[in-house]
Amino acid sequence: MEFDLIHNLGIGFGVALSWQNLMYCFFGVVLGTLIGVLPGIGPVATIAMLLPVTFNLSPISALIMLAGIYYGAQYGGSTTAILVNIPGESSSVITCLDGYAMARQGRAGPALAIAAIGSFFAGCVATVVIALFAPPLAEVALKFGPAEYFSLMILGLVGATVLAHGSLVKAIAMTLLGLLLGLIGTDVNSGIARFSFGLPELSDGIGFVIVAMGVFGFAEIITNLEQGESRDVFVNKVTGLMPTWKDLKDSSGAILRGTALGSMLGILPGGGALLSSFAAYTLEKKIGDTSMFGKGEIRGVAAPESANNAGAQTSFIPLLTLGIPSNPVMALMIGAMMIQGIAPGPQVMTERPELFWGMIASMWIGNLMLVILNLPLIGIWVKLLTVPYRLLYPSILLFCCVGVYSLSNAPFDVMLTAVFGLLGYIFVKLECEPAPLILGFILGPLMEENLRRAMLLSRGDATVFFTKPISGVLLGMAIVLLLITLAPTVRKTREVAFQE
Amino acid sequence: MNIKNGKDFWAGLMFAGFGLGFMLVSFNYPMGSAVRMGPAYFPTVLGGMLAILGAAVFVRAFVSKLPHPLKVFSFRLPLMIGALALGGATYLADSWLKGVPMAEFALTGLALFLFIGAFGPKSMFLVLLSVVIFGYALKPLGLVLATVLLIVISAFGGHDFRNKEIVILTIVLVLFGVLVFVKGLGLPFNLWPGE
Repeated sequence: MEFDLIHNLGIGFGVALSWQNLMYCFFGVVLGTLIGVLPGIGPVATIAMLLPVTFNLSPISALIMLAGIYYGAQYGGSTTAILVNIPGESSSVITCLDGYAMARQGRAGPALAIAAIGSFFAGCVATVVIALFAPPLAEVALKFGPAEYFSLMILGLVGATVLAHGSLVKAIAMTLLGLLLGLIGTDVNSGIARFSFGLPELSDGIGFVIVAMGVFGFAEIITNLEQGESRDVFVNKVTGLMPTWKDLKDSSGAILRGTALGSMLGILPGGGALLSSFAAYTLEKKIGDTSMFGKGEIRGVAAPESANNAGAQTSFIPLLTLGIPSNPVMALMIGAMMIQGIAPGPQVMTERPELFWGMIASMWIGNLMLVILNLPLIGIWVKLLTVPYRLLYPSILLFCCVGVYSLSNAPFDVMLTAVFGLLGYIFVKLECEPAPLILGFILGPLMEENLRRAMLLSRGDATVFFTKPISGVLLGMAIVLLLITLAPTVRKTREVAFQE
Repeated sequence: MNIKNGKDFWAGLMFAGFGLGFMLVSFNYPMGSAVRMGPAYFPTVLGGMLAILGAAVFVRAFVSKLPHPLKVFSFRLPLMIGALALGGATYLADSWLKGVPMAEFALTGLALFLFIGAFGPKSMFLVLLSVVIFGYALKPLGLVLATVLLIVISAFGGHDFRNKEIVILTIVLVLFGVLVFVKGLGLPFNLWPGE
């Protein structure tokens, strides 16, 4: 087993260290840092834009680059959070609290350094976690039948619903709406084009990129413009990058705890970077001396920043072992694999080991590149923050439009994206969180297919989802999760947690 | 009965509307049975659940402890009048417009946009309009002119429009688009009209 691991990692590094893959990895993490630093454009829009381009790359190069964008964005996001008090990335929201406070005390340098060191440590650990846990999980997954897949997807959707901000009922409704939108297009079994209103463009279904770009990208630009520009750029000269020994000693425990928590929460369906950072900060506030939190406590930077990077990386586990995305970025990774003709699932690891292990090895290399990019080159990223939003958003719009158009060279797709942009704006106004909708949209056709197969195999006996052991456990977990959230005490803390 | 939470009121209506809509359309397809589910089975069940949840959110709007005004979206009367006038004119001038290609399509689309724009902020109207125009202009006008249209129209949606900056930004992005998208990534866009 241990020999296998070393052997496999050897294959992985062999693939990842080819100059071509190193170059794509570098390109990915630079781009990731860039969009992480810039508020208003995130990994979803960026990866969506690059999807059509990846068609011309080899599968492994494409995946290495796209993965680099995701975890690179976690590094970049912390820079903006610390210096400007605006999360460059949603997973850095919590870093603003203590990071910005440290910057105001003239300690921006150590805050940035600790964030990068914590992220690097977490990235290394998470890489090992994936290497250790993905193979056994994939073996379990090979035993999965349609009933198990269906129950697993239910668990994933419940997870996404529970983690959404605000009202639980609205989050469930958004999930259902997402599932329904995912069903638009030709039904595989009967060949009937459902909900296409006679439009040939809709008979293939709506592209995931179109929905994600509209609901996340365009809607965010519109709301940003509506609220007006209120960025208090705090770009003091960043001097004295090196943290003191005391800083390192204070934050080492927080980095360890953040990494452990993030690695665990990233694996959960519906989890990932965002949830991990919140949980790590909450945990840190319950341990030791808490008097300095919110006033520039270095642990308040170290823990969430380690956690979000760990979570970002371990969220690849459900994708690589089960073929099920746990968040929108992972859904795009599925899209990238499909473009290359690879069906995501447990068989990837055995049939294409170079793909799986190459990607894991590239994550470690990418993290090393990120530390180098983020510490000495911090000045460049800081300069970027002085670009005003009024110049940024037309550029973002252009990239999004070109990305959508190039999917199938169809003006109709661009118009459809605008429609989803409108819908996304309405969601923001009505306080309906779009993340569950996106997950539902991706899982809709998969769920229907597995439900049909499971029911056909069991001759219409719906109890099969509970009587099969793995499926039963998964559904049980989903129900418990839902019940816990509905319990009055948890409900209150959840509301408080999301307000912070 | 007073509506206490305007956001829940509209969200409830929206969800119920979507749920019922999907259910209604599903009636056109075969339902099948639990063993052999037809194309209507899953969407009907989901649509029903969504409609029920929508109704629950709707009801909650009347008992909510989180007050929020009913007016969630802004409304501009001039845009609405413009939309109705343009739509009406297009309808009446039907026979005249037949001779010009795309004219009817473009005018109807613009009227629709004015109608939607009447309910939101200026930024929403202009951002979405610029995007759609880019999509439909890219092929006939080429990448250069479509980019110019996109940048200039969307820039009007911002708070301060500075002529000089927009000119420079447009030039930079056009160059970027030509060099990176067309030359670098090899995307099949024509640069100028009629190429």
